[in-house]
Amino acid sequence: MKEKKKNNTMAKIYKYRGFYLMFLPVFVFAIIFFYAPMLGIRYAFTDYNGIKEPTFTGIQNFLRMFSMHNFWSAFWNTIQISIIKLLLTTAFAVIVSILLNEIANLLFKKVVQTIIYLPHFMSWVVTASIFSLILSPSSSGLVNTFLVNIGVLDANSTIYFLGTSKWWRPAYYIINIWKETGWQTVIFMATLAGINTDLYEAAAIDGAGRWAKMRYITFPQLRNTILTVIILNLAKVMNLFESAFVLQNNAVLDVANVLETYIYYQSFNSGSIPNYGYTTAVGLFKSLVGCVLVLVCNHWSKKVREGRGIV
Amino acid sequence: MSKKVVSLLLTATMVATLAGCGGGGDSSDPAADSGTEGGSSAGAGSTDESNADESTADAGTETPADDVEKPEEITIMVDGTVFTEENGRDQFMAKLEELTGIKINVIQPDHDAYYDVVGQQIAGGDWPDVLILASTQMSSYGSEGVLWDMADAWNNSELKKRQEANNGAGVVESMFIDGHLYGMPATHGNGCVTYVKQKWLDDAGITSLPTNFDEYYDMLLKLKEAEGVDYVVAASGFLNAEAPYINYFPEFYQDAWPSFYQKEDGTWADGFAEDSMKEAMRRLAQGVADGVVDPESNSYATSDVRNKFYDDSLGVFTYWAGTWATNIKNNCENNGLDGTMAVMPPIAEVTAGVQGQHDGNGGYIDRVSPAWCITTQCENPEGVFKYFIEAMQDGADTQFLWTYGVEGTHWSTAAETLYADTENAKTYAEGEFHMLDNLETPGSQYTKAHIDPMLALTALANDPRETTVAPEALAAQELFNANSVGAFVVPSTDAMNQNNGDLMTEKQSLVTKVALGQMTVEEAYEEYESQGYAQMSQEIVDSLNAQ
Repeated sequence: MKEKKKNNTMAKIYKYRGFYLMFLPVFVFAIIFFYAPMLGIRYAFTDYNGIKEPTFTGIQNFLRMFSMHNFWSAFWNTIQISIIKLLLTTAFAVIVSILLNEIANLLFKKVVQTIIYLPHFMSWVVTASIFSLILSPSSSGLVNTFLVNIGVLDANSTIYFLGTSKWWRPAYYIINIWKETGWQTVIFMATLAGINTDLYEAAAIDGAGRWAKMRYITFPQLRNTILTVIILNLAKVMNLFESAFVLQNNAVLDVANVLETYIYYQSFNSGSIPNYGYTTAVGLFKSLVGCVLVLVCNHWSKKVREGRGIV
Repeated sequence: MSKKVVSLLLTATMVATLAGCGGGGDSSDPAADSGTEGGSSAGAGSTDESNADESTADAGTETPADDVEKPEEITIMVDGTVFTEENGRDQFMAKLEELTGIKINVIQPDHDAYYDVVGQQIAGGDWPDVLILASTQMSSYGSEGVLWDMADAWNNSELKKRQEANNGAGVVESMFIDGHLYGMPATHGNGCVTYVKQKWLDDAGITSLPTNFDEYYDMLLKLKEAEGVDYVVAASGFLNAEAPYINYFPEFYQDAWPSFYQKEDGTWADGFAEDSMKEAMRRLAQGVADGVVDPESNSYATSDVRNKFYDDSLGVFTYWAGTWATNIKNNCENNGLDGTMAVMPPIAEVTAGVQGQHDGNGGYIDRVSPAWCITTQCENPEGVFKYFIEAMQDGADTQFLWTYGVEGTHWSTAAETLYADTENAKTYAEGEFHMLDNLETPGSQYTKAHIDPMLALTALANDPRETTVAPEALAAQELFNANSVGAFVVPSTDAMNQNNGDLMTEKQSLVTKVALGQMTVEEAYEEYESQGYAQMSQEIVDSLNAQ
């Protein structure tokens, strides 16, 4: 029986050998670039500076990590910043998509769409430079100058938005909304385009106005897409580096330092040779949390998307 | 039969000829090397060995009859202090290969990311033969066995004699760590002096430069009022992560030192915990609160501060002495400003942090010079030292190249007018040595190559620096040399490698928060204690004392 099954499998492989042959490069690629680097995980359990042979230290790096204040600060910052950013950008993307959908003039709609997509293609370094100027506390800062001119602020008490813990996160979220909202509307616009127009016509016959149509047709039709977008992005919340790195500074590390920038500072801020064992341990912990999030999201996804998971 | 004999003879002749060719090219032949190195002529800028002093000529052109083999090919890793590709690196390396007879492969990351890339390169296991390292990195990598100990090579070299003859050997001696020498500096370390715009001083009616902190602070307030600017002084960061940490705000830090140092009794301490540091933080906070120190110093890159000084947003700028004095002047003038700068002697309270304790004087900090290091993966470190590193300071053609660059690319003696049809036009006669226009940023002349002629450790024969070094650069350099104290190298320990990343990040964060008025000094030190950083610092101090 077993022999028969094996022969059957081999026969199938032979039958579909062309497909397997096409799959081979992908398989090799995955092994080399995705799985082979995972061998580096072993360094998390060693004392390793990249020069001498690693020495096994068991879970010492993890114990040290859990005892570090900056680690926990970075961990909670990562979770909070990522999730709030995700919810805000998604919410704004939905609102903007619905508003765009209401624009009747096609040319104007396309122009607006193009304009709001553009910031997505700007690098984070350039974005940070621009907003540093706009939010500068000096007289060249656009926002502070405006607030002073309308009498909200005194000229001698301008706000250093990107250099104050209280203001850094709101500024960060606004910058993210500016940069990413447009791009995120793409998927919602596609969903809106697929809504059956008969529904709107039927609603109009029933006397529904614009607001009622949006509330009872558009938004329910978008709900599944919104949940899918949130769930898919929730799995990636631990991977936050570039935007936080370019906008943070020494004054706001308590609210802006995230796990990946924590690893960066551990590696490059000591002026001496970093312990790659420790930074690998932090990286591994981050990956494990990310993995758990993926599984949780997969579970939710199956519920929301009628059995379809994300992995 | 005769054909066979003839063919055998021809084959034998050909083999002998080829072997002869190979022998002629043997780089281990000292006579061949000396011919190569001494025979080149770089035109008017080249050195004339007959006029050079004996030791210089010997070292630059002859190889003692020892068994040090010249390497055929080496890989070097350099930062932006060596000409970048945009600034004629290819021409520079071609000339260097011609002079040294060594094929040179160059790895040159972006200057700002240099040490990140060095770390990755070392961790990757593929080390270059030679690389430039700052003192902290040199100490760390040296203690881990990455760097070749060149102490013996230097002690037995002609280079040491040449440096001694030019009062440059002391700079090398200060780089020894526990009897080991892991790198060879090409120049004095140099450091920063404080530049004040003369026009701003005139506008504020200030006729003499401050001599103590009260006068200095009063000057800042008057300049702010007279010019109506947001701020007067700024720097890239309130506290730098790398030594010498405090050199961009010397007047505010005064005798404070935020990191580890060796006391007079030989024991180690962390200056961050001392009262002098707390006072420095209070002074910075006061400066920000009064609007004389730019709060955005927190996030500025060095280039941001330079540009603000050039566009007249700032009037006081602590920056490198020497050729930077000329750069600052030229850039201000290019923006239509008066480029005249008053260079401040250190105020009375500036004692270069704890460095002042070493010789009882004080002043600006003469940092430990970055050094050329040879890795232990280099197959022929003796050869690299002799034919590459020692040649860099040969007092002759190779040093000339490292100091001024390549004729026709970086300097010239041809009759010409630079910047014709502009108000900065400069005309040179035939045979007159002059630096050429910067390839990357046209409109300003080169001032040097890698070695600053004012900071060289060895004398350069026929040095044209009298014609190339501008008076303001010379004045700034002389003021610095007369008022600076040499920094020291801190050894590396496991505890330091383990903890200093976290510790330094926290120190920077606390200093910045206090400076910006977001936290008091007392709150900062309470956090430093309660979150375990004081303990971390003590572990490093203990490890240094245990050495």
